[in-house]
Amino acid sequence: MKVTVHIWDWPLRVFHWLLVVAVVGAYATGKLGGELTDWHGRLGSLVLGLLVFRLIWGFIGTTHARFSSFFPTFSRVRAYLKGEWQGPGHNPIGAFAVFALLAALIVLVATGLFANDDIAFEGPLFNLIDKDLSDKLSGWHALVINLLLGLVALHVAAIVFYQRVKKTNLVLPMLTGKKQLPRDLQSAAISRVGVLRIALTVLIAISVVWGVWRGDFANYLSPQASYQVDNTHKT
Amino acid sequence: MNKKLAAILTLGALSSVALAGPIEEQIRFRQSAYSYLSWNTAKIKAQAADHPETFNKDQVIAAANAIAAVANSGLLDLYGPGTEVGTGWKPTRLKPEFFEKQDEVKEIDATFIKEANELQKVAATGDVAAIKSQFGKVGATCKSCHDLIRVRE
Repeated sequence: MKVTVHIWDWPLRVFHWLLVVAVVGAYATGKLGGELTDWHGRLGSLVLGLLVFRLIWGFIGTTHARFSSFFPTFSRVRAYLKGEWQGPGHNPIGAFAVFALLAALIVLVATGLFANDDIAFEGPLFNLIDKDLSDKLSGWHALVINLLLGLVALHVAAIVFYQRVKKTNLVLPMLTGKKQLPRDLQSAAISRVGVLRIALTVLIAISVVWGVWRGDFANYLSPQASYQVDNTHKT
Repeated sequence: MNKKLAAILTLGALSSVALAGPIEEQIRFRQSAYSYLSWNTAKIKAQAADHPETFNKDQVIAAANAIAAVANSGLLDLYGPGTEVGTGWKPTRLKPEFFEKQDEVKEIDATFIKEANELQKVAATGDVAAIKSQFGKVGATCKSCHDLIRVRE
């Protein structure tokens, strides 16, 4: 006998699907280049905002959104491999994928902010470092994309595997937030999302993106860089 | 291979070297060309895309003319045999595959010339939106070549 349990809070679901849109869009615009390169930068900034949101939400979100609730500890992984693990949220192996995906995206965003394409694109923090370092980071940016593609393929393959072999739909819960679970896991249901918490998290995420784009961070970290920023207006 | 053909090929290779000079010089010239291009593309990017309020028609026309001139200058002559290794202003980042991908390279070069000529025409009209769009097309040809034959840092 299974019951429907609310496990994924709405900010987490919005985060997930916005991330899908942003990453697919950033990949496509990055590949196509040309005039779309500006959109690559914008979508990358959306990913930045989403990552900031997720990293905070991993500590103050609802139960199954918290990193501590699904962090793949040794005992959890061992239990899972023995087939003894049972839980409502990410399983320990899925948790590896979550952290790996977040790590890859963090590296991509961090390098992208300083990147240049030697054509007509410079990341919003490009002026903080010298060109050689930016070139190097741009190279890493392109390399890590392959890692991200691999992880995304694994993620999608796992979902197909659950659907076909284990007859478990993982997509629907990420849309509705509700999952079919055994009755003894009923108590895993999450509480309501705190208004103050979500407001604060979104505010911080937007502030970071805003600060990066307006050049506030650049000015703070290196006041001389603002000279270069201003100069582009005059050329 | 028959001897006549070999002789012609050797002569051809020698004459292109003679035109463009020794390896280091070819690399230095081509690096200079792209460096000069970047000065001009940066102006168009700044004035037509990022800060259209700073648009200066004369500067953009001058930049588009310069880009078209460089595109039409026969850049491929600076990619003689052996120039996949060497140092101009800095070590070259040309992939050795460049010499096996001549068909694609020539096609990209032709597209670059076509789009740069078009940019020159569009720039003369002073239509900022059209310049921005055409500039994007030129940028896409730069990228297609970087993706194909340029070593990533």
